[in-house]
Amino acid sequence: MIEAIDLEKCTGCGICDEVCPADVIHMEQVALPDVVEGLGREKWLPAIKFQQHCVTCFNCELFCPEGIVDVHPSVKNRPRPW
Amino acid sequence: MAANGMYGTHVETDILVIGAGAGGLVAALSAKRAAPPGTRVTIADSWKVGRSGHTAFSNAWTVVVAPDDDLDSVTKEIIAGNDFIADQPLIHRVLETSWDRLKDLEGIGLQWPRNEDGSYYRRPTRGLKDTRVMYPVGGGLEFSWKLKRGIEDEGVEILDRFFVTGLMKGGTERVTGAVGVHSRSGEFFAISARATIIATNAITFRTGFVRDLTGTGTLLAYRAGAKLRNAEFSYLRPGTPRFYFEGIAFAIQDGASFVNKHDEQFMLSYEPEWGDRADVPRIARAMAMERQKDNDPLYLDMSRIADDKRDFYFSSTVAWMQRFLDKLGDEARTDMFGKTPYYPQNQMTKMGLATDADCRSNVPGLYAAGLAQAGCCNHFAGFHIGMCIGTGWFSGQAAVRDLETLPPPGLDQAEVSALYRETRAPLDEAASADSDAWLLDFQRFTSRYDISIWKSAERLEEALATLAGLSQRFAGLRAPDNHELVRIKETEAMMMAAEIIFRASLMREESRMSHFREDFDFRDDENWLAWIDVHESDAGPVLTKTPIPTPITAPGAGA
Repeated sequence: MIEAIDLEKCTGCGICDEVCPADVIHMEQVALPDVVEGLGREKWLPAIKFQQHCVTCFNCELFCPEGIVDVHPSVKNRPRPW
Repeated sequence: MAANGMYGTHVETDILVIGAGAGGLVAALSAKRAAPPGTRVTIADSWKVGRSGHTAFSNAWTVVVAPDDDLDSVTKEIIAGNDFIADQPLIHRVLETSWDRLKDLEGIGLQWPRNEDGSYYRRPTRGLKDTRVMYPVGGGLEFSWKLKRGIEDEGVEILDRFFVTGLMKGGTERVTGAVGVHSRSGEFFAISARATIIATNAITFRTGFVRDLTGTGTLLAYRAGAKLRNAEFSYLRPGTPRFYFEGIAFAIQDGASFVNKHDEQFMLSYEPEWGDRADVPRIARAMAMERQKDNDPLYLDMSRIADDKRDFYFSSTVAWMQRFLDKLGDEARTDMFGKTPYYPQNQMTKMGLATDADCRSNVPGLYAAGLAQAGCCNHFAGFHIGMCIGTGWFSGQAAVRDLETLPPPGLDQAEVSALYRETRAPLDEAASADSDAWLLDFQRFTSRYDISIWKSAERLEEALATLAGLSQRFAGLRAPDNHELVRIKETEAMMMAAEIIFRASLMREESRMSHFREDFDFRDDENWLAWIDVHESDAGPVLTKTPIPTPITAPGAGA
């Protein structure tokens, strides 16, 4: 399951959103702190919107050009026959 | 595209392919190549074409019959390996044309590993003697991506993130396209098409190894009048919830064995001829029976594999699986070669559309490809994608041939209006997203070994009663956003599929392939060399029996 994206290092390229097959990651516009007072800045950054629906396919981690996505290799909630 | 004032966007095309796994991608390629210039071919996928479907997550092992192979022998052993639940002419055609398809795929840039002497690298597959399989360099992800680039180059139009919620008939007896929503924005689309190819996989209950795949298209086709087939059969295999592992057949060849809690190699007592080398549904059945005898936990004992052969199990040609193994690190070694409980798993149904050997359904204008087509019920390793490539190709060709009898349809505003309302009915911004809890309860009982693998009339009746209770609860589910709307639609299709599966399982009073009845624990060729076909009526699913023609080989003839 996806655990984290290091947003400090994220360039906002959106590839993780593009390659997620489970609609878990959504690019969202976020406000950044003002550098010059009164001049607002915004940036598109990935949000882990539906972590519970991650299918642990590793696409986001594999395709991230910055290598800043971490997927934990545990497989959760798989129903068992007994 | 043109704006459809009231409801969203109206798209017109000639041939619409829904689903972009191997079956859909090949169908689009086939249709575009066969069609006269100017014919519009559109492929839509609920996610991203080229990254989507079961194919993209697989090795893409595929069966190929080379010119020097014995086509007749391969055909017969695959039909027998399906316990004769097989469309024999279709399977023969898929195999007969597999070499041509290999060359088509090479033509769009796919490469296949070769031996030092330049010949293709091929290997046998589980349970078959003459059949050979091969995989493309880069596995399923490269396979899907190259095909996506190939169809783009040929002018196929691509619609990403289009989740289909209904098929249109425009007041006629034929299918005239589909409606759906953009899975992110929620924008409503109506796509008018002269021919529609369903290639949305067989339905799953999100229990397989690619759990975002649900394969709802077959149920939409059912609601549009299409006959479904093979509902009582499933993809059964042993597995462990602890980690992904696709190498059981190799492990057994290297000496691994299934054992019970007493360390007994139980497979030999169920399958004296094959033992651990039995086909995976037989292993799943044996595991279910061991559980019934209180002999669980069960294990795949890989400690029997020699040390110098173990590194093989920590490498994969599939990028995501390699990353998974790398990140598990030492834990993978401990899990794999230690005492990790294994279970029999029912990963997906084999229910697909009943079609002719050209992949035409019983509804004019509607075709099926890939695992949405019910040509056989056991895909072995490699035959899975082999069938997808073959049925994809044939469906595309048939759709083009039929175009002259399928004039461009008009848009029936009343129908679109009704489908629009039906699609959006669950939306309620103030609601909470509760479909996960419902799905878990659904999975808990549909995954039970004594319902999904080792069946009986009593337990199937009980399952139908449980399902009826869950159906009432389902009616109350609402979606606060588009993400949940899609989840609810997928879950609704699973619920419909479960009823069909239980009813077909009740009807087939024998055991065959992956359908095992405790109360009818024998194969009955006299009464059951037949398909169970299911169509919708106002009173619910109607099940009928269709004898299976055996023009190539029959039970008792030998493979």
